[in-house]
Amino acid sequence: MRISRLDREAERIGLRKGHGVTEARAICPSLDILPAEPAADRALLEALADWCDRYTPLVALDGDDGLYLDITGCAHLHGGERALLDGLLSSLFALGVEARGAISSSPGLSWAVSHFGEGGVIDADVAEAALAPLPTPALRLPKDTAEMLGRVGLKAIGDLLPLPRAPLARRFGPLLLLRLDQALGLEDEPISPRLPVPVLSAERRLFDPVSSADDILALSAHLAGSLKEGLERRGEGGRLFALLLFRVDGRVFRIHAATSAPQRDPDRITLLFRERLAAVHDGLDAGYGFEIVRLCVLTAEPFETVQEGFADGTGDSCSLSAFAERIVARFGPDSLLAVTLAESHLPERAARLAPILDRLESERAVGRNGAAAVTATACMDRPLRLFTPPEPVETMAGVPEDAPKSFRWRRSLYRIARTEGPERIAAEWWIDGENQPSRDYFRVEDEAGRRFWLFREGIYGEQPHLPRWFIHGILA
Amino acid sequence: MATPALARERLVALREAVARIENADGPGLSGRKSRWQWDAQEAARNDPPATDGLDAIFAAGLPACGLVEIRNAQTRDMGAATGFTLAVAAMRQEIAKTGATLWISQAMALSEAGMPHAPGLKNYGLDPARFFLARPRTVQDALWMAEAALGISAFSAVILEIRGNPACFGLTESRRLQLRAKANGSLLLLLRQAGEEEASSALCRLRVEPAPSGERPLPDGSTLAGSLGNPAFLVTPEKSKIADAVGTVLEWNTDDRRFRRTETCPEPHPESHPAAQQPQRQPEDTLPLVSLSSRRQGGPGPLGTVVALQRTP
Repeated sequence: MRISRLDREAERIGLRKGHGVTEARAICPSLDILPAEPAADRALLEALADWCDRYTPLVALDGDDGLYLDITGCAHLHGGERALLDGLLSSLFALGVEARGAISSSPGLSWAVSHFGEGGVIDADVAEAALAPLPTPALRLPKDTAEMLGRVGLKAIGDLLPLPRAPLARRFGPLLLLRLDQALGLEDEPISPRLPVPVLSAERRLFDPVSSADDILALSAHLAGSLKEGLERRGEGGRLFALLLFRVDGRVFRIHAATSAPQRDPDRITLLFRERLAAVHDGLDAGYGFEIVRLCVLTAEPFETVQEGFADGTGDSCSLSAFAERIVARFGPDSLLAVTLAESHLPERAARLAPILDRLESERAVGRNGAAAVTATACMDRPLRLFTPPEPVETMAGVPEDAPKSFRWRRSLYRIARTEGPERIAAEWWIDGENQPSRDYFRVEDEAGRRFWLFREGIYGEQPHLPRWFIHGILA
Repeated sequence: MATPALARERLVALREAVARIENADGPGLSGRKSRWQWDAQEAARNDPPATDGLDAIFAAGLPACGLVEIRNAQTRDMGAATGFTLAVAAMRQEIAKTGATLWISQAMALSEAGMPHAPGLKNYGLDPARFFLARPRTVQDALWMAEAALGISAFSAVILEIRGNPACFGLTESRRLQLRAKANGSLLLLLRQAGEEEASSALCRLRVEPAPSGERPLPDGSTLAGSLGNPAFLVTPEKSKIADAVGTVLEWNTDDRRFRRTETCPEPHPESHPAAQQPQRQPEDTLPLVSLSSRRQGGPGPLGTVVALQRTP
C-alpha cells in the first residue's frame, strides 16, 4: 500500500506521494490512513463542478482533482475577479474543501500558478514574470520530459524562456513548446465544458433559502416569465427545460422537463415542473433549503404562432399535448405511446408503439415538409392483441399441411370449430436473410367462440426439422 | 285484490324514479320492459341507424359519461372482453368525431393478454392515429393517469385495464373515478382482466364472454359456409337492475360500427353460396364398405352372470 494523496499537514512532516504506508507510519505513528476511493472522489468533483455552476455555465473537469471555470463575461456579476476568487475559495472552505485557485488569461497559466505558485489573479502583462520562477512540471508535461529537463539543468520555466525554440523542439518534442505557448497565452487552448451551455437561463439568488415545493414553483413561474421575453425575441420556444436547485450545503439538483412542442407559456412550463417535482419527490431532499433557483432552456426550436379559430376545435390537440407532457414529465418518456405504422406485411413490423413526444414531433415535421405519412396497408382481419414474441403451441391436424383440429396453449386444450386461412406471409429477406421460413396464418375459432391467430413457421418437407406452430394474437 | 296490484305499480314507479336519479344512463327498470317486448323487425323499421343491440343492455343507448366495468373471469377470454370494450370505444369515437382513445394498461396485463395491434384496431373500426397506450408501472399510477385523462376533452373514451382485483382499487377509488367521469362528461371503460365480481361504484358491470360467431355474409345475401363472420359476445349484466343470468349475444359489425343482437347461436344457413366450401355431410344412403357377415357367431358372449339379489327392505 502506498500513499496516493496526502494533505498539506502530511506534506509538512515530510511525507510524499508514493511512500509506502509502513515507512509513513515509521515517520509518524499517529498517521490517519484511509483507503483511496477514486469513484467517490470523482463523484465529489462532479458535485463541486455542479456547485461551481453558480459562477459560470462553462465548468470543465481537470483530471481527477481540478476544475476549470471559464469566467469570461461573468466576473462583473460577482464583484470583479478578485472578489469572485476570494468568494469561491472561502465558500469552498466553508464546505470543508481545501482548494487553491488562480485567475489568469489562459488555462495553462492558471493551472501552473494554482498548483505550484501562490494563486491569485494574474494580469496578462505579468504572465511571463509569474511563470518564470515556477518549476518545469508546472507546464503539465509528461513525467519523462520533465525529468529530462531537470537532468540538463532546466529546473524552472524561466530557464526555458530565453532559449532558442528550434533546438528545444528537436530535443524535447513539440509538446514542450505547445505547453509553453499555452501557458503564455500565445496558443489557444479550449476547455471542454462538462454540460452544454443553455440557450437561455434565468436565476434568482435568495437571501432566505426556500424549501417548499410551492415556493419553488412560484419562483419557477417567475423565472419562466422572464425567460419568455428572451424566447420571444429569438422567435423560439423551449423544448427541453432544466430547473437547477442549489441547496445551501452545496448539493445541486437538476430537474429536466421536455415538452411536446416549442413552449414559452410560463403557466405550461410551471405545470410541467409541478409534475416533475411530484415525480421526483422522494429524490429531492430540501434539507435546509435552496439558495439559488435557476431555470434554463436547454433546447429551443422555432415557435410557430398559430391563429386560434373561433370554434374551439383547435383546443383539443393542445390539451392532448398538454396531457402528454404531464404524463411524460411524471412517469418518463416511455410511459405514453402512440402508434407508428410501417409498410410491412409482418405483423410485428407493421405497427410500432413509439413514445408520444417522438410522434408529435414527427407529425409537426410532416406538417412542415408536406411529406405523406405512412398509412396502414389494407389487409385482412388482424388480431386486436398481439403477443410479442409469439407463444409456441402444440397442435394436432388431420393432414399436416391443413389447419389444426385442436391445439394446446398455456396448458389448456382448445378444440377448433372453424378456421379461415392460410394466409401466407413470407419473410422479409432484405432484413431477415433468405433462410428465414415463411409463415402460414390461420384464423381459428374454438368451440366456445374464442378466436385466435395461429401460424405455422415453415413448410413441411422443406426444412430439416418439422415446422413449429405459434399463437400470435387473439381476435375479438 | 286490486290493492296489491296498485301497490306493486306504485313500487315500480318509485323504483323507476330512483333508477332515474341514480343513473340515468345505466341499465334500469325502464329498459326491462322494452327488452322483453323486443322485436327485431319493429325495431329495425322504426329507426335503423340508431337501433343497435346495445339497447338490450343500456336502456338509453350507449352512456356518454361515467364508469362502465367490463369484466372477464379468464385471461383466455380477453379477446372478447377487449373486443367489446374497443367496440364501445369505436362507437364513442364515431359520435365524438375527433375523439382519441386512451388505453391505460399495466405491463403485466399487456404481457398476459397481448399488446394492442394497430392494423387490427383499424379493421375493427378504431383510428390508429388517434389511439394512445399508456403503460403505468403500478395500479396507483394507472389510477392517477385515468383521473388526469378524464379531464381531457380530446379523449372520447378512456380504457383502464386492470389485472385481477388489486386491493388499492376499491370502492373509494371507483367512486372517485365515477364522479370525475360524470363531472367531466367522459366515458371510462374499466376492463378487468381475470377479475372477480367486486362491489364498485361503476354505472354497471358487464361480464363479456366469447360466443360462437356467425358466418361471413356474401353480396347475394347468403353466407359463406365454414367462415368466421363478425365477432359475437355473450354479454351478461352483473351489476344492474336487470336480473339477467342468461345474457345477450351481441354481434359487432365492424363496417357499420354497430352492435346487432342475435337471439340464438347462429346455425349454418341452408342456402349457402355455391362457391363456398360445403360442410362435409353424410351421404344419403350409407352402405358398409365390407359385406355383412352371415352364419357366424355374433361376437363373444357377456362376461359373468347377473345375480338377482333379494332386496332387503
